[in-house]
Amino acid sequence: MTLLLIAWLLLPFLAAFSAALLPSLARPLALGCALLTTLLGAALLLGLAPTTLELSGPLGVLLQVDRMAAPFLLLAGLVVLAVLLDRSSRAMAGPFLVLVMVLLGGLDSAFVAVDLVSLYVALEVVGITAFLLILQKREPPQLWIALRYLLVGNSVMSLYLIGVAELYLHTGSFRLEALRDPALSGPVLAVVLAPLLVGLLTKGGLFLSGLWLPRTHAEAPAPVSALLSGAVVAGGLCPLLRLEVLLPAQQPLLAWIGLASALLGVLQALGESDLKRLLAWSTLSQVGLVLLQPAVGGAYALAHGLAKAGLFLASAQVPSRDLAQWGRQALPLGLGLPLLLASLSIAGAPPLLGFWTKQALEQAQQPIPPALLLAVMVGTAAVYARLCRLPLQLSRQVPSQGALLLAGLLVLAALSPVAVPLKGAAWLKALGVLLAGALVELLLAALRRGGGTFLPRPLPSLERLPDLLGGMALVGAALLLALGFWPGAGGVAWAR
Amino acid sequence: MPDAFVLLQALVLLTVLAGLLGLLLRRNLFLKALAMDVMGTGVVALFVLVAARPGLRTPILSALSTPAGTALPAVPAAAWADPIPQAVILTAIVIGLSIQALLLVVITRLAQLDPLLDTTSFEEIQALMRRDR
Repeated sequence: MTLLLIAWLLLPFLAAFSAALLPSLARPLALGCALLTTLLGAALLLGLAPTTLELSGPLGVLLQVDRMAAPFLLLAGLVVLAVLLDRSSRAMAGPFLVLVMVLLGGLDSAFVAVDLVSLYVALEVVGITAFLLILQKREPPQLWIALRYLLVGNSVMSLYLIGVAELYLHTGSFRLEALRDPALSGPVLAVVLAPLLVGLLTKGGLFLSGLWLPRTHAEAPAPVSALLSGAVVAGGLCPLLRLEVLLPAQQPLLAWIGLASALLGVLQALGESDLKRLLAWSTLSQVGLVLLQPAVGGAYALAHGLAKAGLFLASAQVPSRDLAQWGRQALPLGLGLPLLLASLSIAGAPPLLGFWTKQALEQAQQPIPPALLLAVMVGTAAVYARLCRLPLQLSRQVPSQGALLLAGLLVLAALSPVAVPLKGAAWLKALGVLLAGALVELLLAALRRGGGTFLPRPLPSLERLPDLLGGMALVGAALLLALGFWPGAGGVAWAR
Repeated sequence: MPDAFVLLQALVLLTVLAGLLGLLLRRNLFLKALAMDVMGTGVVALFVLVAARPGLRTPILSALSTPAGTALPAVPAAAWADPIPQAVILTAIVIGLSIQALLLVVITRLAQLDPLLDTTSFEEIQALMRRDR
């Protein structure tokens, strides 16, 4: 088993190098890697026994192929599969497939790594590959976006390494578990944990440290946007969920950051006039919800990632990205239906996968007030109600195979074990949220037609390079203060 | 000794902070990339410092390089430096170098648009290109 798992982890990298030498093999190899990851994720979800791999001694690499990683593995495999099958990715030039394989390999490692050094290496591999993928289109906007992405990403990973060094200094270990060491408390824990969290929060695209995300995901070529929004952000989310499980005392802090991210994303998405930017802001909001509850987070990330990747793949085939033109032109059924299903799934309409994960999230114990969560849900429904005003036209064309595949999965998932019995009140509440969302959208549409916005002033532009770096530094400083000196979250001795 | 260690650690962290401030405050893209490298250097120094905590002697097996029969110089067991953080930071140095190279390639390409490499002008170039489209 150990050997098989190591072979599975190395396979994408070997396949990438072989594909670079033999380009004709690239597509089958990439499909094979994606299928293997999908199968492993599904097997783990269906009850394959988790395995822990300790390579090169107690200070070496530690990998945990377990149920926490399972939904993320499934997500990465399926998103890569859909992108590979999609028409828009066939137009991409040579190294695209090689890069996708390396990206998948890096993500697989990031999901199963439970020592901080392996996680660092995996996340840097993912970051560099994502940078090169954005540069598949070498126009000046993409150059600028890719540069920002790598600059921000590497800066936070430098900060992350400070946390790693401090952890080793105080506990003599690089393992995630070492964070529970009693030697770490109060300010010492803050110095270790704050840099680690800044790194992971930024990679996951959360709140102010995730301000790089909207423009990056919007300007990247469509198949790359699908990969970034569907799978790459999960590289930061999975370790964050592992941290939440390990450190229950810090879970409320992360949940509040997640909620802030959700609110910020929804507000910005409601004011957006460009399709891909709306989707990207919504990603920033949805990854926030993933952090609310570690037990549900993986499934939520899976439901959101599948739907969002489908939406980005479909967005490549839509006549105009301008939302003012949205709905003027009827879309063929093969494109409109996946768009509708994916939108409805994120909005939480039964019986799609997104509905079930939202229900699980609402039923789970949480540190944040339910009213705020409800506001986010209504806002999300309003964002996607806008995309659902879409005339369809009967036609046999299938412009986006990948989007169709992902939408099909969202429907199929309703038949799987995720579907839990619900009380009547829960159904009513879900329908109420959707209706409220539709009403909000109708109001906003009337406002937009009148030339106004829903806020007295336009939303601040938060996406210039100084904002991204400042957001990252601000979150870092706030975390340091909150963990070290905030009695509730940090557990400082003087508070007890 | 612990006092010297804390002092050195503070200095190293100040280096990282200086890099971070440069990253935040400099408007020139090249200087931003350079400031990022200062941060990286600070982090490397931190790992080297952590490695030097138990001792300063480089942990290299010298029996192979000394002629047979000569005795190794007597070194107290505690004086060896910790090899683990050094091994870890080697990976990070390589990654940092490659990222720096990639950034410089992109900066070279962007310099064709604005040789002054002022970050604000790139935000505007974006807006200009969008208006042209």
